[in-house]
Amino acid sequence: MNDPLLLAAVALLVPLAAALLLVVAPPLRHRGTPAAWICIAASLASLAAAVRLVALHAQLGGARWTTTWLFAAAKPIASVGLCVDAVSTAMLAVVTLVALCVQVFSVAYMHDESPRGFGRYFALHALFLFSMNLLVIAPNLLQAFAGWELVGLTSYLLIGFWFAKPSAARAAVKAFWMTKLADMGFLFGLLWLFVASGGFEWSAKLDPTVATGVTLLLFVAVVGKSAQFPLHVWLPDAMEGPTPVSALLHAATMVAAGVFLVVRADPLFAQAPLTRETMLWIGSTTAVFAACLALVQRDIKKVLAYSTCSQLGYMVAALGAGSAFAGFFHLGMHAFFKALLFLAAGSVIHAVHSNELSDMGGLRRKMPVTTFAFVIGALSLAGIPGFAGFFSKDLVLASLEGRAGWIPWGLLMGAAFLTAFYMGRTVCLAFFGKLSPKSEHAHEAPLAMSVPLLVLAVPSVIAGFFGAEFAHSLGAHYEVHLGLTPIVASSLAVAGFVAALVVFGRRRDASVASAIERLDRASFVDRGWEALYRRVLLGLSDVLGWIDRYVIDGLMNLTGYATLEAGSAVRGAQTGRMRHYLVAVVVGAILLAMLGWAR
Amino acid sequence: MTLVHCLLLAAALFSLGVYGLLTRKQAVALLLSIELMVNAANLVLVAFAKFAGAPTQPIVLFTLAITVAEVAVGLALVMLLYRRYDDTLLDAASEMKG
Amino acid sequence: MIGDALAWILGAAVVISGVFVVASRDLVHAVLWLALALLCTAGLYAYLDAPFLAGVQVLTYVGGVATLMVFGVMVTRRHAAAAAEAGNDSNVVGAVVALGVFAVLAIAILKTDLPTSTAPTPDTAELGRTLLDDYLLAFEAVSLLLLAAVVGAVVIARRRDVEARTQDDATLLPTMRTGAD
Repeated sequence: MNDPLLLAAVALLVPLAAALLLVVAPPLRHRGTPAAWICIAASLASLAAAVRLVALHAQLGGARWTTTWLFAAAKPIASVGLCVDAVSTAMLAVVTLVALCVQVFSVAYMHDESPRGFGRYFALHALFLFSMNLLVIAPNLLQAFAGWELVGLTSYLLIGFWFAKPSAARAAVKAFWMTKLADMGFLFGLLWLFVASGGFEWSAKLDPTVATGVTLLLFVAVVGKSAQFPLHVWLPDAMEGPTPVSALLHAATMVAAGVFLVVRADPLFAQAPLTRETMLWIGSTTAVFAACLALVQRDIKKVLAYSTCSQLGYMVAALGAGSAFAGFFHLGMHAFFKALLFLAAGSVIHAVHSNELSDMGGLRRKMPVTTFAFVIGALSLAGIPGFAGFFSKDLVLASLEGRAGWIPWGLLMGAAFLTAFYMGRTVCLAFFGKLSPKSEHAHEAPLAMSVPLLVLAVPSVIAGFFGAEFAHSLGAHYEVHLGLTPIVASSLAVAGFVAALVVFGRRRDASVASAIERLDRASFVDRGWEALYRRVLLGLSDVLGWIDRYVIDGLMNLTGYATLEAGSAVRGAQTGRMRHYLVAVVVGAILLAMLGWAR
Repeated sequence: MTLVHCLLLAAALFSLGVYGLLTRKQAVALLLSIELMVNAANLVLVAFAKFAGAPTQPIVLFTLAITVAEVAVGLALVMLLYRRYDDTLLDAASEMKG
Repeated sequence: MIGDALAWILGAAVVISGVFVVASRDLVHAVLWLALALLCTAGLYAYLDAPFLAGVQVLTYVGGVATLMVFGVMVTRRHAAAAAEAGNDSNVVGAVVALGVFAVLAIAILKTDLPTSTAPTPDTAELGRTLLDDYLLAFEAVSLLLLAAVVGAVVIARRRDVEARTQDDATLLPTMRTGAD
């Protein structure tokens, strides 16, 4: 097993095989447990292949294989294939590791599900892993688009996993339409790219204007998928799905696909300074804005969801600053600690049967392992020195130094403080303080849940130390340096935690806490979208509906009516008597002969 | 008798066939009219072979064979018509009436 | 020339018997007139240096086709009287159209600069050679066609068993009737 392409194919196709097997063999799916094992085995194989690929890549370098599948006028249009390089191997390893942990976790978390639902859940997980790997390993934008849409589909299916619950079904549809709206940008960007360059290559050379247009269109899709302001509103609603799904899709991997796309298409984006400027601003705005929203959520998953938005904002800002490596590095670190946080939150929810922070409290004594894991994740997310999040966040901030008058830098510094603050708040409310009535009967999670937590806790702490090697394999430069940014960032993080402890700690300062909770009004963006939908879109639909009903259908009906009438008018000609038909034939022949002479 | 005469004779025969085709109601009579028309065509072919040296005589043989086949199938159809509608007048079969 | 005179007489006989074919009320008479017309045409073939074709014409047409026709008429004879009764309502239209056809053909014939040649007509031996040489494929195809026609005629006109017929009456006839309505 030393052929990189073979390994990549294994990582890609084994989950697909598992998904197909579960689709075509309903008994396996309906019994539940076998489906889980098949899915986990496939992920394990995928992970093994990905890890081997990382090792191999360090020695042998990249590999690439494509085959053309779409021709027009004997000219190849599109190809599919495998692209093994530093970016894809690293991403593959992250995705498969997190996926495996989440799937093992799910075995325990989804235990109360009916066998059929259990099987469906794991079939969707296998499909998701394939889709994500397809996107990661894509050698061109077209295949990436296929994977992109597939992860969107699996996201829809998994958010709406409990489709009998109206809120879940609505959230699934909302997520689907929001991202779909944004995906139009991807599609048009692809078309423009093809028209301009005749291909779908990641590194096509383009006109400056065309490059700006194409990358802006692609960025629209990124804004949708990676939940950036103002299209972020679907992500908090997506928390209606099972918590492991939120961990895998809506924190670690799928939402990061947008960032990954930009990292991949870096040569394209490098030709478009305007797009990068836009990304810089949108990213830093989202980071602060979502952090503010995270501050006031009462639902532990919504806190993490807005936190995800905020962290994705960091990545987008880094990409906007032209540092693809910083964004990608933060993506990887974020995948670990955010998946960890979500799974720990899932463990808590599983124990207290509620998402509300007010139903939690004092869980530290009941669930030591979960508490440990959550705190590790929180510290890493806040960027406390020594944890993985510190390194990547530092890198992101460093890449912003001096950009656009230090404003994005300042915004992200503020977001860093807020991040530490809201994570401190969550930790205080959920794990410290008095035991709430609901958490009286809480107990530590089973092994299948705690082991993945501990596994994910390891990279959440130490992964940052491998930044230099990682950077080297990507051809980027990275070193930890003691300067303005790390000092300010880490002091802000510590300050945030301390402030949270003061406000929400044992002796709660009720006035500040309630003042903060009153900030909840900030969900105006959601209402703005709703108004836009109700007034503009529905109004437009009414107009279009009227045109469709009376103009287009009217034309159709008129055509039908005219045809019927014309038929009735000439039906007399069809006498059914053969003689009459023969007369017509012969007279026609005579007329043709005369016509021949007349010419 | 020259080629023109032969052709005019054939034309007359053919027109008689057309007349029969258009006026007769019995299905068998239609077959008879068709025979007249085929015969006219054959006469033309033979006349051209004689007066213009055209290699058309073998074609006459083929025409004959095909006509025999046509008559066999045609008569079978008449029998079928007779059985289905209890009638041999073609007007009985008027499903195509609009 | 006695041959030419004979040919003119034969030609006139063909046309006259053709007229009777389309004009006689009784189908048996019409078939017999057709047989006469075909016989006279065979004579014309002989005059036109095609003795073999004349023989074939007599054998297949006069001997085969006409007999078959008479047979068909006899089998379906029951309605001959009714058929005779049925007036020909479109005689005028038919006559006009037929005259139109004749006019078109005649004009075409007279306008065309007809080719002439003094090349000898092929004799029977040569005809046979051509048939099995140049036209071999067509020859075989025609034999296949005849086979298919025989099988097809049998299938179409086959008299069904008594059971099948009662079934036929029960199922097929009503549908045909409603179709005819």
